[in-house]
Amino acid sequence: MTPLRGSSLHGRTAALALALVAAFAAPGARAQGKAVYDQACGVCHNAGIVGAPKLGDAKAWEPRIKQGVPALYAVALGGKGGMPARGGNLNLSDTQVKSAVDYIVSQAKVRATTAVASAPPAAAPAPATRTAAAVASTPAAQSPPASALPTSAAQPPAAPAATAPTDPPASSVAKFAPGPTTVAAAVPVRAPVSGAQANAFNRLLRPPAQRNLPPAEDGIHDPANDGTQLLQPPLEAFGALPRSNAGNRVDWVKALAETRIQPRVDRVDPKAEAVVMDLNIVREVKGSMPDVVYPHKQHTEWLDCSNCHPAIFVPQKGANQISMAGILLGEKCGVCHGKVAFPVSECRLCHSKPKPTAATAAPAR
Amino acid sequence: MTGAAARWRALVAVAAVVAVAAIDATPAAAEYGDVVINRRAERGGVRPVVFPHWFHRIRFRCKVCHSELGFRMRAGANDVLMADVIDGKFCGMCHNGQTAWGAEQCDLCHSGKPGTPPGIQGGNETRGPGRW
Repeated sequence: MTPLRGSSLHGRTAALALALVAAFAAPGARAQGKAVYDQACGVCHNAGIVGAPKLGDAKAWEPRIKQGVPALYAVALGGKGGMPARGGNLNLSDTQVKSAVDYIVSQAKVRATTAVASAPPAAAPAPATRTAAAVASTPAAQSPPASALPTSAAQPPAAPAATAPTDPPASSVAKFAPGPTTVAAAVPVRAPVSGAQANAFNRLLRPPAQRNLPPAEDGIHDPANDGTQLLQPPLEAFGALPRSNAGNRVDWVKALAETRIQPRVDRVDPKAEAVVMDLNIVREVKGSMPDVVYPHKQHTEWLDCSNCHPAIFVPQKGANQISMAGILLGEKCGVCHGKVAFPVSECRLCHSKPKPTAATAAPAR
Repeated sequence: MTGAAARWRALVAVAAVVAVAAIDATPAAAEYGDVVINRRAERGGVRPVVFPHWFHRIRFRCKVCHSELGFRMRAGANDVLMADVIDGKFCGMCHNGQTAWGAEQCDLCHSGKPGTPPGIQGGNETRGPGRW
């Protein structure tokens, strides 16, 4: 039992490391099987998407397993129904796919035997801490039904606590080991402000070295993912487009007006034309700030009337209270401006109509 | 058992160091308008989805997705399931292997860095108070 438990423990660790860096080669067929399953098959087989039999659902898997494991290998490698070949992950080798199938089969059998033995329902994915606590408080856990043991692969921290209570390092490691890893995974990807950034002229302005980075370097794409390398880098697309000083640093309105880009108006019909409405709305604003000129023309080039009316803006003069505070909170213009359309730092693109300056002070009344 | 414990400890240490190094190495410098979709992805065992607005607006006007495809214009308002995409709804209206790559090319969309929280990225200025 011990070697089995050891290997499943190891498998979990390797799967975790693989999820983090996707660069660990998992030793052990079972460990590899679980890792491959998590990476390629779990998306559909965890939830049962498009008719995929769920992992561990003995009833669903029984007829399939009866056809023989080679038949399952063939399905996994070649695809069937809604399932793409190799789970859609064509980089997987035959051995990797087969190890995942073996893992699925082992899980199905485990659940089946547990059900037959009418043992308490196998602890399905439960928080590891809770399981550990339950194991510690229940003496029966010292002698769990043999068939239930392999399921503990899902909760490795419980295993050493139950089997080796005399080994304090092992149990303490098991208790605390998930700590640093889960914390590391939960930390939002926001780099600490480095010295150079802190002394930058304006921390809200992105330094040139951080503009339009290729996907692998932009901080939100996973460089270890094969697909990331296939994605188009922004600068490759922006090369011929008119530049601006904010946002993507592309002047999208100008790019469209000069037909440098020809985005489709209709999903399928490349010849469909936009219904453009040319109507400027002038909004007088307080203080010395130039008035806002809102051009329907540039907006209807991109958008449908129903995108803004009536949910965001009531189509009636005087019915919309707009303030910069609301915009900064993401209301009104701020639904798009500041997120995908040019940001609010570009004041004069909206506030573009200078107030008439009175030559002489108005007479007092 | 001690051997297993030692291996476990060593691997955890390596994983933690690698994770910290990965976070330290790259500051988030995402493209303006990039949206990370991670409500279910990581719980389902795949990387988060990164949706680049810039890439799509070169090819389609806003209204195609935000009116024809039914995407609401607020990050978090669209509850898109992978099953919907495969059924040809939302992303699946184009990502069907005809207009754009199909749903079997998981890692082109599910390309986000694990642990990235869902939401709009890339230096947005209008989300909530405290930004200015």
